[in-house]
Amino acid sequence: MEPTATCWIVRAYLGLVLIFLYLPIAVMMLMAFNSSALYELPFVFDTIWFEKLASNQRLLTASLNSVVIAAINAVVATALGTLAALAFARYSFRGRRLLQMLLFPPITIPWLIIGTSMLVFFFWTGIGRGLHAILLGHVALSLPYVIVVVGARLASFGPELEEAAATLGAKPGQAFFRVTVPILAPGIVAASLFAFAVSFDQFVISYFLAPPGVSTLPVEIYTSIRKGFTPEINAISSIIILVSMGLLLLVVRNYRFGGER
Amino acid sequence: MKAAARRRLAIAGLTAPAYIWLAVAVFLPLSAMLYFSFLSATPVGGREAHFTFDNYVDFFTKSIYWFNARRSLELGVHVTLLCLLIAYPAALMLAKHVRGRWREALFLLVILPFWSNALVRTFSWTMVLRGDGPVFGPINPLLPAGMQLDILFTYPAIVVGLVHAYLPYAILTIYISLQAVDDALIEAARSLGASRLQAFRRVTLPLSIPGVLAAVFLIFVPVIGSFMEPRILGGKDAIMLGPIIENQFIAAFNWPLGSALSFIMLAIVLIVMAAASPVLRRHLGATA
Amino acid sequence: MSRVDIENLVKRYGAVAALDGVSIAFENGEFFGLLGPSGSGKTTLLRAIAGFVIPDAGSIRFDGERVENVPVHRRQIGMVFQNYALFPHLTVEENVAFGLTVRGTSRDDAAKRVREMLALVRLEGLGARKPRQLSGGQQQRIALARALVTRPKVLLLDEPLGALDRRLRQAMQVELREIQRTTGITTIFVTHDQEEALTLSDRIAIIDQGKLIQVGAPKSVYERPGTVFAAQFLGDANLFAGTQAGDRLQLAGGDTIRTAGPAGAAAIVRPEKLTVLPAGDGRAAGFDNRLEGTILQAVFSGASVTYRIDVPGLKDPLLAFMQNQEGDVLQPGTRIVAGWSAAHTVTVTA
Repeated sequence: MEPTATCWIVRAYLGLVLIFLYLPIAVMMLMAFNSSALYELPFVFDTIWFEKLASNQRLLTASLNSVVIAAINAVVATALGTLAALAFARYSFRGRRLLQMLLFPPITIPWLIIGTSMLVFFFWTGIGRGLHAILLGHVALSLPYVIVVVGARLASFGPELEEAAATLGAKPGQAFFRVTVPILAPGIVAASLFAFAVSFDQFVISYFLAPPGVSTLPVEIYTSIRKGFTPEINAISSIIILVSMGLLLLVVRNYRFGGER
Repeated sequence: MKAAARRRLAIAGLTAPAYIWLAVAVFLPLSAMLYFSFLSATPVGGREAHFTFDNYVDFFTKSIYWFNARRSLELGVHVTLLCLLIAYPAALMLAKHVRGRWREALFLLVILPFWSNALVRTFSWTMVLRGDGPVFGPINPLLPAGMQLDILFTYPAIVVGLVHAYLPYAILTIYISLQAVDDALIEAARSLGASRLQAFRRVTLPLSIPGVLAAVFLIFVPVIGSFMEPRILGGKDAIMLGPIIENQFIAAFNWPLGSALSFIMLAIVLIVMAAASPVLRRHLGATA
Repeated sequence: MSRVDIENLVKRYGAVAALDGVSIAFENGEFFGLLGPSGSGKTTLLRAIAGFVIPDAGSIRFDGERVENVPVHRRQIGMVFQNYALFPHLTVEENVAFGLTVRGTSRDDAAKRVREMLALVRLEGLGARKPRQLSGGQQQRIALARALVTRPKVLLLDEPLGALDRRLRQAMQVELREIQRTTGITTIFVTHDQEEALTLSDRIAIIDQGKLIQVGAPKSVYERPGTVFAAQFLGDANLFAGTQAGDRLQLAGGDTIRTAGPAGAAAIVRPEKLTVLPAGDGRAAGFDNRLEGTILQAVFSGASVTYRIDVPGLKDPLLAFMQNQEGDVLQPGTRIVAGWSAAHTVTVTA
């Protein structure tokens, strides 16, 4: 057993790290319930900013855009990504390495560069800016994550199950829906939640691809911060943080429970 | 061979959708931007644009761009180093000194903020770092006059914000590689006469290098390319490559220059990747 | 029930030939074992018959009809995988019924057939369980039931008993044989365990490096291996090299031994064919071949004793198995004479 001295150091250090990580979030959530418009103390509990939020059309429209895009993104990215993950996990072919390496650029190249290049290309080819362009970008960003998550789940149960189904006479489609999908389900769910979160929280790409008047929630928050702060931002930000973290918890829960063979 | 052809068709059909999408959304745009970087002006509204190297030349000759690039690199180094310094002990403790339920719970707690909305997180720091905000506001009156805490819109604020953003990432990758160090190895070292410190230095530390390198790679690159955190937390003090590029596209409408600067940043990123990858691969290969 | 004919099957992975022109005829209803070391190509061959491996050249025929371009799910085979590959999300009954379900068999018919199968493998009553609730032996039998329920033409088994412990394995070998005899399905199985191959098969084939080394009934392949590899892979063998004239082989040390057949590259004798007697024992004179030596090691394993004997002129020690019938175990250092008959001295090609 560990000597007590180490125990205390460990607790203290990890505690400090956690405080550092959660301090700003806690402060922000606290201020969301504070009646002062300028984050001044003393703290007076008030839900006024949430009420104002409910009537802030711009923020609400932006929120809706974010949710809708995130949902469509989740479906599309999960579908495309699952197919690709299947190809990687169940077949070996020349060029597989290359294709897998091509998944790196979207996540390793700074989003600034990806965003600006999308802006340039979409503008040039007439695709233009807008929610459709934003969706185009979000799916591209989500794909690598989906492929990795689904791929990991696929790797956990090898091709024998599908092969067994084939030897029993199941056509490829039957094998896929009767065997692969049920076992893959937790991974697919995790991946789609992931994709949703990636899109919902995405700022940089959305920023470049949002035309004036149309935006997603993060972009709206950014413009608010730059132009002049309204405390409703605090309220909506608190909600977002809780939603994001809640989504992650869902992913983890789901993934683990479904993970056992 | 019908069977072989069927197989090829299956592979193509499965991978094509995703990769066509990636081509249209990522690879073609990058190529387009490369093309743009060699234009003399943004080809919009009938403006004539001709091929030129000027944009790239400008980077190397106009000192302001050099300055910015250097600042971005400095930022990358500062943030990465700080993250590593704070993350390594935390990861080590989580991996080796915390057991059972606690470990999972703590791990989750550490990772959670990373997946929350980055913009909102950054924004939340503006409240904490202001001199008259809820955190420093009450403290400042208690401090001597020359030592007031108000670091919003300064370089340190940017560093704090970025460290906060990427710290969980660093803890995650280092934790994973530390976790993979079998306890039996430490025990073997101890049985051969090594003290705790020696066992750590000679066994644990070397084996955790891949995680550290992964963290370096995963932090340094995005930090160089960041513009949101510098803008929000640094205000006027955010003189870095990221914000300058953003400015070219959104405000100055000088897309060719912005494109060129983007590719220079990309080049910096690729150089870092290239430098890190053989070391990474060697270490990963050794421990795989 | 089908016969399966493989002709000149070739499969390459890069520069390596996993299958290098293999031809075998699997007779209708026989229990056939593919034996070979890891990497020999035996599993590739099995998977080619199943349809998971597409050969580069050669043909595979079921009852005379070529099947190389027939997809797996239409070949009407049954397969038991090394780790059973039971569907974890389905119950035992759903697992066994799977082949019928995907064919659109009615619920009642399927249920009836499943019951028959479960009875055949003696696991009635376990229908509602999930695979992870079963023991290894039970999983193996369910996998078998599942493969047989569709009445396949050919049954393929990939190291079927590899994951079981020794006791269980022996029991399963007997059961497997019984089930195969009852159903009469042409069965091809892959194993690297020579004892298993010998026990289960009507005929075996030894495969190494993608090539067929020898085919035949177990006893005949065992007693008359054609090559050094076959001799040493299937059981133990004492190898004698030297110059041969007619049926006499002259060893390096000067001794001569008589062989059973005409000249080959070498001669082998199985250890159990040797009788070890103390030097000077008169009975030694009754044997065609005699070699004198000293006991290096004697290992007593219950039913038998294994002797390693140092013979001057022989590079490797002589290996002898003696049944534990009478007398004491001869101790290391004892001078002995080993005797055996010429008929048991088999000549082999390289």
